[in-house]
Amino acid sequence: MATKMIRDVIVETIDAEMGRDPDVIMLGEDIVGGNGSAGGPEAIGGIWSTSTGLWGKYGSDRVIDTPISESAIIGAAAGASLSGKRAIAEIMFADFIGVCLDQIWNQVAKFRYMFGGKSRCPVTIRMIYGAGFNAAAQHSQSIHGMVTAMPGLKVVMPATPADAKGLLTAAIRDDDPVIFLEHKALYATKGEVPDGEYVLPFGHARQVTEGDDITVLATGLMVSFAETAARNLAEEGIGCDVLDLRTTSPLDEEAILDSVERTGRLLIVDESPPRCGLATDLAAIVASKAFASLKAPIEMVTAPHSPIPFARELESAWLPSSDKIEAAALRLMSYRRG
Amino acid sequence: MAKLRAFTMPKWGIEMTEGVIAEWMIEEGKPFSKGDLIALIETDKITNEVQAEYDGVFPRLIAATGEAYPVGALIAVVAEPGETPDAAEVDAFVAGFKPADASTASKGSKGATEPAKAAEPAAAQAAAAAAAASASKAISIPADANISPAARAFAEEHGIDISGIAGSGRGGRITYQDVLQASRPAVSVGGGEPIDITPTANRLDNVFASPLARRLAIEHGVDLGGITGTGPRGRICKADVLAKVALVEPETAPVAPTPAFARPAAGTTEIVLMSPMRKAIARSLSLSKSTIPHFYLRSRVRIDAILGLRTQAKAATGEAPSVNDYIVRACALALTKHPDVNIQVHADEIHRFGSADIAVAVATDKGLITPIVHGADTLSVAAISREIKTLAEKAWAGRLQPEEFQGGSFSVSNLGMFGIDQFDAIINPPQGAILAVGAGTRQPIEIGNALAFATIAELSLSCDHRAIDGAVGAAFMRTLKELIEKPALLIG
Amino acid sequence: MQLSREALLRAYRQMKTIRAFEDRLHDEIQAGEIAGFTHLYAGQEACAVGVCEHLGSQDYIVSTHRGHGHCIAKGCDVIGMMKEIYGSREGLCKGRGGSMHIADIGVGMLGANGIVGAGAPLAVGAGISAKGNGTVSIAFSGDGACNQGTTFEAMNLAVVLKLPVIFVFENNHYSEHTGVAYAVGAESMAARAAAFGMRAEKADGIDFFAVFEAMRELIDYCKAGNGPAAIELDTERFFGHFEGDPQRYRGPGELDRIRAERDCLKLFRQKVTEAGLLEGKDIDALDEEVMALIDRAVVEAKAAERPGPEHVVEDVYISY
Repeated sequence: MATKMIRDVIVETIDAEMGRDPDVIMLGEDIVGGNGSAGGPEAIGGIWSTSTGLWGKYGSDRVIDTPISESAIIGAAAGASLSGKRAIAEIMFADFIGVCLDQIWNQVAKFRYMFGGKSRCPVTIRMIYGAGFNAAAQHSQSIHGMVTAMPGLKVVMPATPADAKGLLTAAIRDDDPVIFLEHKALYATKGEVPDGEYVLPFGHARQVTEGDDITVLATGLMVSFAETAARNLAEEGIGCDVLDLRTTSPLDEEAILDSVERTGRLLIVDESPPRCGLATDLAAIVASKAFASLKAPIEMVTAPHSPIPFARELESAWLPSSDKIEAAALRLMSYRRG
Repeated sequence: MAKLRAFTMPKWGIEMTEGVIAEWMIEEGKPFSKGDLIALIETDKITNEVQAEYDGVFPRLIAATGEAYPVGALIAVVAEPGETPDAAEVDAFVAGFKPADASTASKGSKGATEPAKAAEPAAAQAAAAAAAASASKAISIPADANISPAARAFAEEHGIDISGIAGSGRGGRITYQDVLQASRPAVSVGGGEPIDITPTANRLDNVFASPLARRLAIEHGVDLGGITGTGPRGRICKADVLAKVALVEPETAPVAPTPAFARPAAGTTEIVLMSPMRKAIARSLSLSKSTIPHFYLRSRVRIDAILGLRTQAKAATGEAPSVNDYIVRACALALTKHPDVNIQVHADEIHRFGSADIAVAVATDKGLITPIVHGADTLSVAAISREIKTLAEKAWAGRLQPEEFQGGSFSVSNLGMFGIDQFDAIINPPQGAILAVGAGTRQPIEIGNALAFATIAELSLSCDHRAIDGAVGAAFMRTLKELIEKPALLIG
Repeated sequence: MQLSREALLRAYRQMKTIRAFEDRLHDEIQAGEIAGFTHLYAGQEACAVGVCEHLGSQDYIVSTHRGHGHCIAKGCDVIGMMKEIYGSREGLCKGRGGSMHIADIGVGMLGANGIVGAGAPLAVGAGISAKGNGTVSIAFSGDGACNQGTTFEAMNLAVVLKLPVIFVFENNHYSEHTGVAYAVGAESMAARAAAFGMRAEKADGIDFFAVFEAMRELIDYCKAGNGPAAIELDTERFFGHFEGDPQRYRGPGELDRIRAERDCLKLFRQKVTEAGLLEGKDIDALDEEVMALIDRAVVEAKAAERPGPEHVVEDVYISY
C-alpha cells in the first residue's frame, strides 16, 4: 500500500500498461509538450501532469503529441485501434467532445455493431471534466450523461486513487471502447493504493458508507460530498448507504436495487443540469424496478438548468454540495406517509 | 370630518381590464365587519366574492349592478363604522378621486397582477369566509389558481388550505402530491443518537458475488476466489457456488499417480532389479508389518471448519494451506497433549520425544518417502504448509538430506487426493504410530434431530501395541478429533 | 512499367465487377428490392482499382459512403457484400451495417462510412499501424469530404507525424447536389493538400494506367518514410448521389456524354487492345464471367438467411 494522488496513479498505470503491452500507444495535445519549440520535448508532460516521463521512456512512436485537432486525435486513435494497436487518446477538456463527437458517437461506438461483430476497437478515451476551478461554461462541464446514453461505449468515472488504478488498468485492457472520465478537481486527491497490478471489474459499485435509511448514489467529485453529508447525518442518527457507482455503463444495477430495497429512500447526486441526465436515468430505473420498496419520492440533487457560471459564488451555487445533499436527505426523511 | 376611503374595482389576473358588479351584498349605510361578504364581482373569467378587509360602512354605493367598470374605477365610498359623513363630503371625495394607473393595484383592495397572487387572498378570504359563514366546510379555490385538477378536487373535498403550499410543479404549480402531503401530519426529523456508518468489510468488496452466493459459500466452505462467475458481468451466483460444492477437498479431482515405468510388450515379462530405495522400503516395511503388533483406531472427523478457515485464508492472503497441513498441526498439538503417543520404539526402550517431529508421506516417482517436519508443535499451520512444500520439492528432486527423512516420532499419510475414502497405513519403524487420512466426502449426519450434510474425512491411527495401548491411542484420537473439528484451537 | 497479362486481366476483372455490381444494384433498387440509402460508384472504377491493385491485406483503406467500389477492389467477398446490401444475416456485417457500413477488417478494409469526412482521421490512425508494418494507409475522399474539417485535421496530423498515408481525392465534380466549382474554394484539391505540407499529384481518374502509375510512385514515396501524399483524380459518377436522386443538377445530355466519352472500362479496353496486350475476346470472356458472378450473387442474396429480432442487441460490446 502507498498513499498517492489520482494524477500520479494515472501516469503510473499508463506506464505499467505501456510497459506490459507494446501495442499500447498514447495520443493527445501536449501530452509530451514542447515539440517544435525552443524548450524541447517534455516541456510539460501533459497539462494535467498525467503523462510525465512517458515520452522519455517510450519515445515518439508511442507517446504522440498532436496538433489541436480533436477529431483527428480520436479518429487516429480509432483507426490505430482497429488495425491492431491499443490506443489511449486524451481530450484535454471533456467540453471539447463537441469538436470530435462524430468520431466518438458515429464511429468508435458503432464499429463493432455495424461491422457485424467482426471488428475490435480497444480504444480508451480519457476526458477531463468537472467544475470547481472557475473555468466557466466551456471548460467545466460533465458529459457522462451524454456518453452513457450511447450504446457501444463504456463509461468509467473513478473517485479515488485506488479505484483509478484498477479501473484504468481495466479500461486499457478492455477490448471495447471506454470513455474514462477524470475529474479535474480530484487529481490531487490522495488515497491508499494497493501495490502490484489489479483490475476492477466494470459495473461494480463501491460501498462508501453503510446505513439503513437512505440510499445515496454518486459519482466522481460528488462522492466525497455525499460522504461528508452522510457523516453529518449519522450524527443525527440517520444512516446513509452511499454508493460510488464507479462506472455508469455498465451500471451496477444490482447494488443500487439491493440498497433501495433495504432503505426505501433514494437520493441521487449528479454534477449536471437536471434534464435527461444520469440522475433522471437512475431515478427511472429505480422507480420502475423498485417502486414497491419506495417510501418517499426520489430526491435528485443536481445543478440547475443553466451553463456553468464564472464568478466564484455563482459556480459554488451551481454545484451540488454536502449541504444540499443533507437538506434533500431531511426532506426524504420527513416525507409524510399515509 | 369622516375619513373616507375608496373602494375600487379590483384587478384579478393580468388580463382583467374591467368587472361587473353582479350584486351588492351590503346595503348602503349598513355597517359590515372584516370578512363579511360585501359584493359579487364578475369578470369574463370568474365571479368572485369580495370580502371586507376591515370594518366599515358604505355611505354611498356608486357602481350599479350589471354595469361594467374598468379596473381601478371607484365603485363605492367607504367610511369607518359609526361615522355618518354628509352627502357633501362624499361628493367632494368622489369628485376628487383619481383612478390609479389601471395596471397597478389601487387603494382599498388588493389588486393582483398574477393569478397565483390572486389565488392567495382569494383563498385566504375564502377560508375566512368559510370560517365566518360557517355554512359549509367546502373551500373554494379560484378558477385560475395554479393547481392541477386532481389536486384541486382533493383540496376542496378535504378542506385543505392551499395558501401555505409551495407548489412543486413547474412555475410553482401545486400538484396532487403537494396537497396530499399537506393533508398529513408533519414528521419531525433528526435529533437521534449518532450511529456508525463505516461499511462492513464484505459488502460490495473485491469478490463480485451475489449476497446469496456469499452465504452459500460460507455455509459450504467454498472458496469464492476460485470460482468463475456465470452471472451478469462475471458475477458469481448461486449456481456457480453449488457447482463447486459438488467437488470435494482437495481442490483438484482425485489424481492417479503416473506409473513409474511403461508397460512391457504384450505377452512378455520384464525383470528389473529393485533400486536401493525400493529395497530399503521393502526391508523396512516388511520388518514393520511382521514384527510390530499393529492395531487400528478409526475415527470420522468433520473438516468443514478447516475448509472454512481455508476460505478465509484464501480471501485474506490469496493462498491457503491444504487440509493436510491443518491435520499435521492438529497431530502436533495432540502429540504434546499425549506424549505417550509421541514416541519411538527401540527393542526394550521407548524413546519419548519433547517435540512433535512429524513425518509426512510424499509419493515421488521413485517411491514413497517421508520427510520430517521438525517441531511441528512450534510451527503455525502456514509455516507447516511452507515447510512441507519445501520438503516435497526436495523429495521429488532427490535432494533430501538423511536427517530430513530419518527419525521422527509420528507420521501422517494422506491418500485423500487420490480418492481413497479410508485406509490403514503401515507404521514406519522406529515410530510408534502413523495416521492415515482419507478424502473428505459429503455425508449425511444428524445435527439436533435433523438430517444435515457435513464434509467427513476418515482417519485411521495405526499403533504399535508394544508401546501404545488402546485407551492411550483412543485418547489421542479423541483429542485429535476435537482439534480438527475446532481448528480455532490450532492457533497458538 | 508494363503490367503482365495476368495483372491486366485482373485489373479489368476488378473494374468490371464493380461496374456490373453497381449496375445490377441500380436495377434491383429501382425494383424496390433494397432498403435504405445506396450510393453507387459506377464510373469511378479506375480510381479504386488503380489504387488497390498495389495493396495487400496489411495495407489499410478507409472508404466513404460510396464504398462498394473500394470494398470490391480491396478484396472483399462480392457475394458477402451483396448479401449485406440485401440485409441478410449472411452478409459481411450480418445485416447490421448495410451499404454504407460494409467492412472487412481482415483484408484491411476499415469500413465504408456514412459520415462525410470521417474516414480521413481513421486512415491516419491506420497509418500509425502501417508505419510499424512497412505498409501504407489510404484515405479515400470525394470532392465533398475534401471540405470537411476532419479531412484538414487528418492531413495536418499525417504531415506532422510523417505517416505513410495517401489521401486519394476522387473528384467526380459533385458533392451531393452541388458542383465542385462552387464548393471547393481552392485552385484544386491537390494544391490545397500541397499547402498542408505534403506531396500532391493529379491524375486522370478515367485512365486506369494513369492512376496506377501515379499511385506506384506515391506508395514508394510513402514507404520510403517521406510522410503522407495526396492525389486528385478527375473522374465521373454515372448515377446520382444516391439512388433516387433525380439529378437535376446535371446539364442536358451530360449523363449520355460522360457514359460515351468518359467510361474507364471502354478506355481500358481500347488501350490494351490497341497496344496488343489483350484481345477483345479476352475482355468479352471476363465480361461474361463477371455478369454470371453478379447474377449468382443476387440469387444467393435473395435466398440468404434473414436476421431475427434476437440479433438486434448482439455485438454491441465484446463483453458487458
